[in-house]
Amino acid sequence: MKKIFSFFIIVIGVFAILLQSCNKEPDIDKSTMIDGGALPDPSIAHPEKYLVSYAYPTPTQLQLLSPVVIAVHGYSATTWEWDEFRHWSDSVGHFMTSQVLLGGHGRSYEEFKKANWHDWQKPILDEFNRLKNLGYKNISVIGSSTAGPLILNLIYTGAFSTGNMPNQVIFVDPIIIASSKLLSLVNIVGPVISYTETSLDPKEMGHYYQYRPQESLNELQDLLNITRKKLEDGIQLPTGLNLTVYKSLKDPSADPYSAVLLYKGISTSGGEKPDIRMVDSDLHVFTNLQGRKAYSAKDKALQIKTFREIDLIISPGFLKR
Amino acid sequence: MPCLILIFSFIQRVEGQEKEITAGIRLQKTHNLYFENGITADFTSSKLWDQRLHLGVSYVTSRLGTALGSNAIKQDNYLATIQYNFRRTKIINPIVRLNGGFFHANLESPLFDDLPNNSALCSLEGGITLNLKVPVRPSLSFGYNLITGDGLSGPGTLFPLFYQLSISYKIL
Repeated sequence: MKKIFSFFIIVIGVFAILLQSCNKEPDIDKSTMIDGGALPDPSIAHPEKYLVSYAYPTPTQLQLLSPVVIAVHGYSATTWEWDEFRHWSDSVGHFMTSQVLLGGHGRSYEEFKKANWHDWQKPILDEFNRLKNLGYKNISVIGSSTAGPLILNLIYTGAFSTGNMPNQVIFVDPIIIASSKLLSLVNIVGPVISYTETSLDPKEMGHYYQYRPQESLNELQDLLNITRKKLEDGIQLPTGLNLTVYKSLKDPSADPYSAVLLYKGISTSGGEKPDIRMVDSDLHVFTNLQGRKAYSAKDKALQIKTFREIDLIISPGFLKR
Repeated sequence: MPCLILIFSFIQRVEGQEKEITAGIRLQKTHNLYFENGITADFTSSKLWDQRLHLGVSYVTSRLGTALGSNAIKQDNYLATIQYNFRRTKIINPIVRLNGGFFHANLESPLFDDLPNNSALCSLEGGITLNLKVPVRPSLSFGYNLITGDGLSGPGTLFPLFYQLSISYKIL
């Protein structure tokens, strides 16, 4: 009897500790962290500075024929992730860049916690449809990290309807398998840990969520599982859609094996493999260097080389001009 | 293969003692990843802590699991196992295992030649095995890989948590 009583006391004690650790809220500094809700992504207040559909609601014939690329950031990031690319492409002037903010992102910890991966995805399709409805003929999509599976989902579910596809789709460090294998345990340990904290470089503060709620990490794991299983079954790209994948050989966020799964799981409409380009980098989203504490001249050269290659993919016609 | 030779030479040396050899299938699922299935064999003797200690080998592969007829990565796990049985004479017998071995993933294209596709394996397992009157030994356990990929080193499809069901038949 005494043993049973002791056992129940231990069980109650363990539950009390677990309950206490559940539903913890992070300690958010509203003056420096986007999580606090006081530093929203600037594209929310000024969409005309980020989205081509808002910038040119009555486009000229020349604009309608010009290539537009919808640039989509990754999990916990903001439009900032594609700022450098936008500045570079504006200086080159071969195409227009439309920077989309994912749903639930760039707002507050509470908004991040509430949003599911369908919410993250919605603004991509919204901007694509707005541009199509305005009459833009040459639309491409580029996505980093989690934008990869989000865009792939739009392709294989037929959300980009037939005859209404982007011309080129480009992924930079797409994630199908997370580098941190602890993410695979989030549906077990998530309720206990409540959230995880990311270490950001000082200049990255205010551009990425510092805290990742377990609800949101579960959404990420769900998206990755769904995408991986779909790739196991095989995805055939629609006619006229080309896919190019850039993947760092070493990546602390998106495991390089993500590229292997995309290579094995995707075929073009002609039965060919997608264009996979493994690059000599150990950075996640190597196209974004601003704000990093340290990067090398080799990283900068790779970034510019990749921007030029992307330019050729999106607007090959400019070669002849 | 060297593990097998070592174990069989050990079995020869304990000839004459009370011993048990089982062999069967091992069905394994990695949490949030692949099914990997294969074969397993286990040996114990009265000299091994009165049959409390077991030595075993297993081979599981996604080729006989998720990769069968799909685009999943074909990967192989070769394991040598030391197992301790806590209640050898009872029907429900709690066990712990220490596994060591070798992992190989076939990435199929030279595009991925620079990615790591081999790794040592080291995992701990805890579970139960059933001592039935019939010569069948079912065993169910959870395991945790202590070595996994992290995006910078190690194969990316080497995940931490797995669960397995083995069904072995007493052949000796």
